[in-house]
Amino acid sequence: MYIFKNAWKNIIRNKGRNILIGIIFIVIAASASISLAIRNSANSLINSYKESTDTTATITVNRDNMRQNMTPPSDSGEDSESNIEKISSEFKEASKISSDDIKNYADSKYVKSYYYSMSVGVDSDLTKVESSSGNEIGRGPHGMESSTDFTLTGYSSIDGMTNFINGTYKITSGEVFSDFEGNYAIINSELATQNNLKVGDSITFTDPNNSENTVTLEITGIYEDNDSTQKMSMFTSSANTIITNTKVVEDFSSKDDDLKVNTNPTFVLTSEKVLDKFSSELTSKGLSEYLTVSSNLDQVESATSTILNVKGFATTFLIITLIIGAIVLFVINMINIRERKYEIGVLRTIGMKKSLLCLQFISEIIIVSVAALLIGAGIGAASSVPVANSLLQNEITSSEEKVNEISSNFGHGPGGDRESSNMKFNKMSGNPNFKKIDNINALVNFKVLLELLGIGLVLTIISSASSMIAIQRFSPLTILKERS
Amino acid sequence: MNLLKLDNLSYRYSDALEDEYVLKNINMSFEKGKVYAIKGKSGSGKTTLLSLISGLEKNYEGKILYADEELSKMDLDKYRNTDVGIVFQSYNLLPSYTALENIILSMDINNSKNIDKRKKALELMKQVGLKEEQADRMVLRLSGGEQQRIAIARSLSYNPKIILADEPTGNLDKDTENQILNILISLAHDDDKCVIIVTHSENVCNRADVVYDLKKINGRK
Repeated sequence: MYIFKNAWKNIIRNKGRNILIGIIFIVIAASASISLAIRNSANSLINSYKESTDTTATITVNRDNMRQNMTPPSDSGEDSESNIEKISSEFKEASKISSDDIKNYADSKYVKSYYYSMSVGVDSDLTKVESSSGNEIGRGPHGMESSTDFTLTGYSSIDGMTNFINGTYKITSGEVFSDFEGNYAIINSELATQNNLKVGDSITFTDPNNSENTVTLEITGIYEDNDSTQKMSMFTSSANTIITNTKVVEDFSSKDDDLKVNTNPTFVLTSEKVLDKFSSELTSKGLSEYLTVSSNLDQVESATSTILNVKGFATTFLIITLIIGAIVLFVINMINIRERKYEIGVLRTIGMKKSLLCLQFISEIIIVSVAALLIGAGIGAASSVPVANSLLQNEITSSEEKVNEISSNFGHGPGGDRESSNMKFNKMSGNPNFKKIDNINALVNFKVLLELLGIGLVLTIISSASSMIAIQRFSPLTILKERS
Repeated sequence: MNLLKLDNLSYRYSDALEDEYVLKNINMSFEKGKVYAIKGKSGSGKTTLLSLISGLEKNYEGKILYADEELSKMDLDKYRNTDVGIVFQSYNLLPSYTALENIILSMDINNSKNIDKRKKALELMKQVGLKEEQADRMVLRLSGGEQQRIAIARSLSYNPKIILADEPTGNLDKDTENQILNILISLAHDDDKCVIIVTHSENVCNRADVVYDLKKINGRK
């Protein structure tokens, strides 16, 4: 059809003008494709991160409830003391969670799987690692402290041994026991060195309340604690912790009712949506009012926060680019149409229909915009990965600066390498097991190209709107009279 | 038989006063094979009359009948690219096109099929006295007379029945004026076209078959 032939010829005839429009389209297309690629990749990255990360629920202290119940009555100090004692005693009782309780809680349609750990303070003839605070400030699941030389921590299954899963602990000799019912243990390399222990040796631990209650464990492995946050400090909290299975801890503690056992269950839920339902179910199953169900959702959110910020920046950038681009294109085309007023007048005079004239002008813009969009998409594809990662790195640096600032508030200074800093940040986010996303593979894929095409179409319509309005309004006779 | 007839044609601009007519009660008729000259002073409404006949203006009073059909009811775009060819004083060619492209574009708009457009355009150029080597020149590189010949060739490209020419020789010297007039007269007498020339040139009027003097037939105050 001659319309398209003419459109093409007009583009060639008016190279300067069309190159200018093309450059603007290329800039818009490149910016838009980078923004779209970042947005899409960020979305898929967040989704895949969430998909690959199970939603887990744990049982923690309901501090709000405890604080509320411990508030002393206003008129009697004596009553308030007895009230606190009563609450403490109630809390101690309530915080005792047995393996049967856990099995009962886990028997739910909302739970995919579960695991738990049990910790108990023990004594031994072994020489404890003096620099370690692990047993002395034993971090039980409910923040309870023990005052024994060692801590015996049992896991119900390999799933619960998160320190090994995330690489904080690494076996240097032997292996992690696979029999979760036998009397086996793995110990910290510092403790092994201190006591000249090796794989195959047996170690015995004693109940601090009853010296006749003992347990002897065979060492199957020795591990090294790589917790980089502790490289900066004097303490390695795990040195006096002996890792075994829950059966050992349960059998040992069952012989002494006064022995304080900290139980830390983790329930892997079917989805994040069932968290509230699961929580209600546990309450109906008798979970104490001093305990509550908490999840890892905040930690997942924290791990994806930087990528969300980058996505937000990309969206803002896209909107600004499109608004400015649309305005510039509209103005350029308006000027362009004024320059081509005479051509419109001549073509209308020799009988060209308004609709065909519009089609010719729009075809010119479409040809230029499609060519520019392809070039822009190519530039966008080449630049989106480095631009996205640069934005992400800026965001990470900004986060690290915040962490260093917090760290310096504690007098620890900003020091440490990046890995250490990240770990600190994660720790401070209450998030030791979640690795932050620090790389984004922003791809200009088919979806991005389709979105880009949509943007191009909208911009073409906006920019050609000036042509269409002008063609409808201009009277050929008036144009030619003005020219004459 | 009348090809075109103006019956009590009156026209005033949309922003003019009620009685301020440019053209008032004009009655004219035009036949094939004749050259008509419409003369009048500047501002007498010559060009406005041509605009009405060419279908570029349609808010008139009275009637314009083309082959007994009321013009305002016709598809005027089609009328302009099929039935009338318009030649302007200032040529109105597209400056970014070559001479040949200007003629072919007109054939394209007319949707001419089954013809070798380039060959026909070259024949038309030859008919109006242009050489083949001028075909691929940009029109701005041609003289005024040559551009006017291109404009005539363009108007003939779709073989219209009427040729409307608005001061076609107004910008040309005497010799060129005569050459252009010869072409237009030949189109009427040899090719049976109805040629209507709006002019204030006495030379044109002298050579036309019929002369309408707007001063005499325009009933405006």
